[in-house]
Amino acid sequence: MSAQVGALLAAHLRDRRRSLLAWGLPLGLMSAFIVAIFPSVEESLTKAIQGYPEGLKEAFGIGELSNVEQYLHAEMLSLIVPLAVGYLAVRAVASGLAGAAETGRLDVLLSAPVSRRRLCAAGFLASAVEVIEVLALTAALALLGSVLAGAGLRAGPACAGFASVLPLALLAAGLGILVCGVSLRTSIVTGSVAGALVAMYVLDLIGKLDSGLSWVRFLSVFKYYGNAIEDGIEPLAFCGVTAVAILLAAVGALLFERRDISG
Amino acid sequence: MTVIEAEGLTKLYGNQRGIEDATFSVQAGEVFGFLGPNGAGKTTTIRTLLDLIHPTRGSARLFGLDSRRDSVAIRARLGNLPGDFGYGREASGREALHLLAGLRGLDGLGRAEELARRFRADLDRPLGELSRGNRQKVGLILATFHEPELLILDEPTGGLDPLMQEEFLNLVSEERERGCAVFVSSHELDEVQRVCDRVGIVRSGRLIAVERMEDLLGKARRLVTVRVADPAGLERLASVPGVSDLQVEDGRATFSASGDLDAAVKELAAHRVLDLEVVHPSLEQVFLGYYQEEGEAPR
Repeated sequence: MSAQVGALLAAHLRDRRRSLLAWGLPLGLMSAFIVAIFPSVEESLTKAIQGYPEGLKEAFGIGELSNVEQYLHAEMLSLIVPLAVGYLAVRAVASGLAGAAETGRLDVLLSAPVSRRRLCAAGFLASAVEVIEVLALTAALALLGSVLAGAGLRAGPACAGFASVLPLALLAAGLGILVCGVSLRTSIVTGSVAGALVAMYVLDLIGKLDSGLSWVRFLSVFKYYGNAIEDGIEPLAFCGVTAVAILLAAVGALLFERRDISG
Repeated sequence: MTVIEAEGLTKLYGNQRGIEDATFSVQAGEVFGFLGPNGAGKTTTIRTLLDLIHPTRGSARLFGLDSRRDSVAIRARLGNLPGDFGYGREASGREALHLLAGLRGLDGLGRAEELARRFRADLDRPLGELSRGNRQKVGLILATFHEPELLILDEPTGGLDPLMQEEFLNLVSEERERGCAVFVSSHELDEVQRVCDRVGIVRSGRLIAVERMEDLLGKARRLVTVRVADPAGLERLASVPGVSDLQVEDGRATFSASGDLDAAVKELAAHRVLDLEVVHPSLEQVFLGYYQEEGEAPR
C-alpha cells in the first residue's frame, strides 16, 4: 500500500471515527438482545415455525430454529445486518468521493500530487476497514450477550456468520465507486446503491418463491451470501463476490478518472 | 521560464461556453491576474489547468508538462486555493495540513506555523466552526505551506478583512520575489492593480485582452485638464490624434487622451501653460471600458 493511500486511509478513518459506535453499537446490542432472549423463546418459536407454510419458510430461509445460531441468522444475519452494513459501506465510499466533492475537499486533495485512482482505492479500503470494525464489534457484543444469558452461541460459527457479510458490503462499496464515476452527489450514490441492494434482496426472494424465475437469483448477491453461521463460509462465493466488488471499484475508478469534477 | 502555457484552451458545457480559445502564458516570478466578473470563465480556466475538468479543445502545459497526461507531476509543484474554499466541517486545519503534507511526501508542515501566526489563523478548531474569512486563511496556508513553484489562487481574498488582505498582497509579492509564478483570478480590481504584473481580461468565456498592467493603464484614456493664459486657438487640440471629448471654457481645456501625449503637448506648447493635470484611470475604469465597448455591463 502506498504512503499516499495510507495517509488518505488514516484521514478517512479519523473523519469517520464515530461510525464504529454509531453503527456497531446498535447492531451489536440488537444482536446481543436476540441471542440473550433465545433460551426463553426457543420452545414457543419451534411450535410457531412448525405452523408456517413451507413456501414462506423457504422464501425467507426459515429453517429449524432449534439453536441460537439459527435464530441469530433468521433475525439479524439474513437481512438486517447485510443491508445495514452494505449501506454503511456505500456511505463510507460516498463520503470519501461524492461527499468530498460536495464540501470542496476533493478540490483540495486533487491540488496535491495524488491520482484519482488512489483516491478511489483509499475510499474502497477505508470502507472495508470500517465494515470489518463494525462487524467485529457486532459479533463481539452478540457473543457477550450469549455469555451473559447463557445462550450457548458458538464463537466460530458466529464469527463466520458476521464475516460472510463482508463481501456483500464490499460489493456495495464497489457499486458506490462505480456510481461516483457517473455522479458526485452523495444522495444519488447512496440512494442508488441502497436501492440496488434492496432490489437484489427482492430478486432473490422472487427466485426462491417461483421456481420458474429461479434464474433471477443469479442477478442477486444474496444468492451467494448463503448462511455461513450454519454452513460455514463458502470460499468460492466469498472470493467471487469480493472479486466482483474489486472489479466494480476498478471500473468506477476508471470512470472517476475520466470525469469532470465540477466546482 | 514559462510556467503556464495555454493554447486555444476551450471548455464547452454542451451549448454553453465555459472558456473558449484562451491563449496565454505565465512566466516564473510573475503575478498574472485573471480578471472578469462572476461567470466569465475564470474558475473554468483554473479547473482546466488543474485537470479537474478536461478541455474540449486546446491544451495547457504547466512546467512544460501536459496538464492532462502529467497532472500528478504538475500538482507536486503547485499550490492551489480553490474559489469558495471548503474542506468539510469536522476536520481542523492542522489535520488537513497533515494529510496534504503526507500526500506531498513531506516530513513536516513546512512553513505552516509561521503562516498561521502571520495570518492569525486557528489551525486547531474544526473548520466548520470558523468564519468564512478564517477558513479562507487556512485555505491560503494549505496552498502555500510547501513553497510551491506555482500558486493558483481563485478569488483569494474573499472574506478576508482589510488587514489580512494587505498581508495577503505582501505574501504574493514575497512569493514573486522567491521566483514563484502566481496565477490569481479576481474581480477585486484594486488588489489586482496593486500586485499583478500582467492581466488577462475575460468576458463571457473569451480572453479579450492580455496586457502588462502598466501598458493597460497607459493605453487607457487619461483625463487631461490644462489651464492656459492665452486661450485663443485652444480648439485646435480637437484635431490632435488621440484627443477626444474636448471642452474649452475660460482658458481651461479638458479632454481625453489615448496613446502618448507628445502631439498634444506640442500643440499646447504654443500657449503659456499655467497648470496641467493628467488623471490616469483606475483598473476599474479600464475594465469597465472593455465591457462597455462590447455593450455589456459586468455582472
